[in-house]
Amino acid sequence: MNFVEVRDLRVTYLGRGEPSLQVDGLEIREGESVLVLGKSGSGKSTLVNVLNGVIPGLISARVEGEVSVFGRDPRRTPVHEMATLVGTLLQDPEAQVFHHLVRDEIAFGPENFALSRKEIEGRVEESARVTGVSHLLSRETSTLSGGELQRTVLASVLALQPRALILDEPTSSIDPEGTAEILGLLRSLRRTGMSMIIVEHKVERVLPYVDRVILVDGGRIALNVEKGRLMDHVEVLSGAGVEVPEYYHYLRNHGLSRPALSGYRKSKVSRVRGERVILSGKVMVKTRDGKPLVHTSFSLREGEVVALMGRNGAGKTTLLRAIMDLLDSRLRSEVTLSLMGKDISGTRYYERGSYIAYLPQNFDVMFVRRTVEDEIRSSSRNPEIYLRLFSLEQVRKDDPLTLSFGQRRRVAMASILGRGQRVALLDEPTSGQDWYHRENLGKELRELSGRGISILVVTHDSRFVDRFCDRVMVMDAGRIVMEGTPEEVFQRGVVTPPTEYLVEAGVWNPLDG
Amino acid sequence: MGESLNPVLVNLISWFLFFYGVGLPVLLIVTVVRLKGFMEITRFESGKGFLYRVNPVTKVALSLAVMVTASTTIWWLGGLLTLAISLVYLTLRDGVRKFVYLMVVLFSSLVSSTWSVAPYVPPSILEPLFPNQQFVTLWTWPSYFEVMGYEPNLTLQGVIYGLQIGFRVTAVLASALLLILTTTTSDIFRMFTKLKVPLSVTFSLLVGVRTVPKIFELLDSSVKMQFLRGLGQGKPRVLYPLLMLYAVFLAIVPTMVYLLRGAKTMAISADTRGFRARPRRTELVELSFGREDYVMWGVIAGLLILAVVANLTGFGRFIPYVGV
Repeated sequence: MNFVEVRDLRVTYLGRGEPSLQVDGLEIREGESVLVLGKSGSGKSTLVNVLNGVIPGLISARVEGEVSVFGRDPRRTPVHEMATLVGTLLQDPEAQVFHHLVRDEIAFGPENFALSRKEIEGRVEESARVTGVSHLLSRETSTLSGGELQRTVLASVLALQPRALILDEPTSSIDPEGTAEILGLLRSLRRTGMSMIIVEHKVERVLPYVDRVILVDGGRIALNVEKGRLMDHVEVLSGAGVEVPEYYHYLRNHGLSRPALSGYRKSKVSRVRGERVILSGKVMVKTRDGKPLVHTSFSLREGEVVALMGRNGAGKTTLLRAIMDLLDSRLRSEVTLSLMGKDISGTRYYERGSYIAYLPQNFDVMFVRRTVEDEIRSSSRNPEIYLRLFSLEQVRKDDPLTLSFGQRRRVAMASILGRGQRVALLDEPTSGQDWYHRENLGKELRELSGRGISILVVTHDSRFVDRFCDRVMVMDAGRIVMEGTPEEVFQRGVVTPPTEYLVEAGVWNPLDG
Repeated sequence: MGESLNPVLVNLISWFLFFYGVGLPVLLIVTVVRLKGFMEITRFESGKGFLYRVNPVTKVALSLAVMVTASTTIWWLGGLLTLAISLVYLTLRDGVRKFVYLMVVLFSSLVSSTWSVAPYVPPSILEPLFPNQQFVTLWTWPSYFEVMGYEPNLTLQGVIYGLQIGFRVTAVLASALLLILTTTTSDIFRMFTKLKVPLSVTFSLLVGVRTVPKIFELLDSSVKMQFLRGLGQGKPRVLYPLLMLYAVFLAIVPTMVYLLRGAKTMAISADTRGFRARPRRTELVELSFGREDYVMWGVIAGLLILAVVANLTGFGRFIPYVGV
């Protein structure tokens, strides 16, 4: 029996005239692993949500055509019954967890099916073992790293013993260490013969663990090929806004072979070196019991785009919040800041905003006006400049909260820069975004740096850093432990580099994984 | 008072008193507790005090007993209960900090509830409550205050009446927060399962318990972002508490939209893990009753006995409120 069989599928969300997804035919065999690619809004999540019954079970939409998952029609099967056939792991682990302890979180599914205590215990132990969280069973979920949390949720999904898994961008909200943990799990799950549909942006990282690649573009399946033939379609992927490593193009032109790959050289990126220091400072942050969280100094040069990298918990966000005077009142801090020679250490956050722009991770909460135009005008005397700079003229009368993610991020950028600041701090603006949106962000940052604005951007995205940043600061245990150009930092292997560096150094072969 | 003073002064003092009931609580909340403080007294943090070991069913029963006692007995019993429960906060993790926040919240609640009653309560209501008493006039309002529903005079008895109503609320508020502060979402889930509350209701309550501290965190972020973007620029600092309120008001919509998006993800995550698959759930961990629970049940019984005895001896919620 096939895992998935789809014929003439049409999915139309309520209130929309046209279908958001149209699939003439799709089959996935049992035991097969498939990578689903496509930029945000292409229809990938709609496809997987039809297969696990979330559409129309939990999200209203008209679903026409034939859909069969292990012989069951998800439209006529309750979502909780589908859960025993297809487990689903979503993007953001924090939004999925609501139990206090890891053990309770994993037990959630079996408890829902009213299994005996002995059976629940057995399933918790087994799925914790498979996902490598056995040693965390008594830990509080709020103390886990992103990777540990996502593995805990996966364990909870596996505790229902599904025949297949849907992983909807499982690594897009977690750091490189967490990503490596999840990818390691994909390898072991694949060995067990479990069917998997993996929606991901990191093509080259996931490719070794799948048999086939499906590209969804504009609500249709634009490509459905065995992974060995993917290189023949690199242009199609690039055209659809998918993140494609540079060496894929090289391999397509030079042939799929190891000798061909040894000739690959990563293309050079020009870096800007600012003439003078714009912002410099020393930051010390401690907990009330004296545990140091951040103890470092830093400087930003004029017109540079600087990446702040490091694992989760290294102190990156705390450093940014200390610079902006936004720390939790339970923390103690000593901050000295000099902006273009002026000491701004004594200013409070409401004054500091006039010197330094700040974009938080959850920027949606800053939209307090009913139109994009008003939103930008509330912080800028000349909104037209920013409407133009961030290509928002077409949506100027729209409510910011109703826009797409990429548009909302642009509105946020436009509204934080309206006070004419020379420095901008951005906290993980690339998190959870596809390459199309990250590339747009990178271009905007280059545009701003060209206007002399210095930018410090916290990110885990090494390819983004390599393409768009001039300098990298690496943080570990509250200190900036390394600083240099992306080439200097990535070649030392202090943080996970883009795979282009690994391929060029001959330490990673995309043909093997 | 007020009749013999200069009319301008009378007006000034009257308007000061008018805003006092609204302004003081708001000022205290904005400057002392702040949104972060609300977050701290509405979320669970693990700790070692005895309350963390008490079964959640016991804690719910205690809250109900406090509610019954405070609402059926004389006001000062509610006040004593408030004090007793507040002192228990000192046993929590970061107890002193939480105690201070609680005190400010309770004081604000008392001031605002007193002020929302005292100027409006007519003598016809106060007379049976305070029989055979000469009403003590504290302040005489300008005549045009009657347009707002004010009585001509603010009396001591009116203020006491407002305080009495306030103390009925404070004990219940303090005990309800205590439940949230010392109980994990998992244990609340188990408790409701044990009490056979429908699963959909349980889930809604759980999402609420998880969401309340997040609301304050997001509101705080939104408010600070508004100031960072220039709210209050060039305005005197004295206006900042008012601007803060304005910013909180503006922050409500984006905060709710953000939370609803998160709630949708959580609902999908729960349903795709079999939530509501069966009408009843089983539990990996059985909620147990320990020594602390037996002690607490003793306290609960004591409270209920106190309520009965107080009512029988004239210290119940009878008219007059002053007891025998």
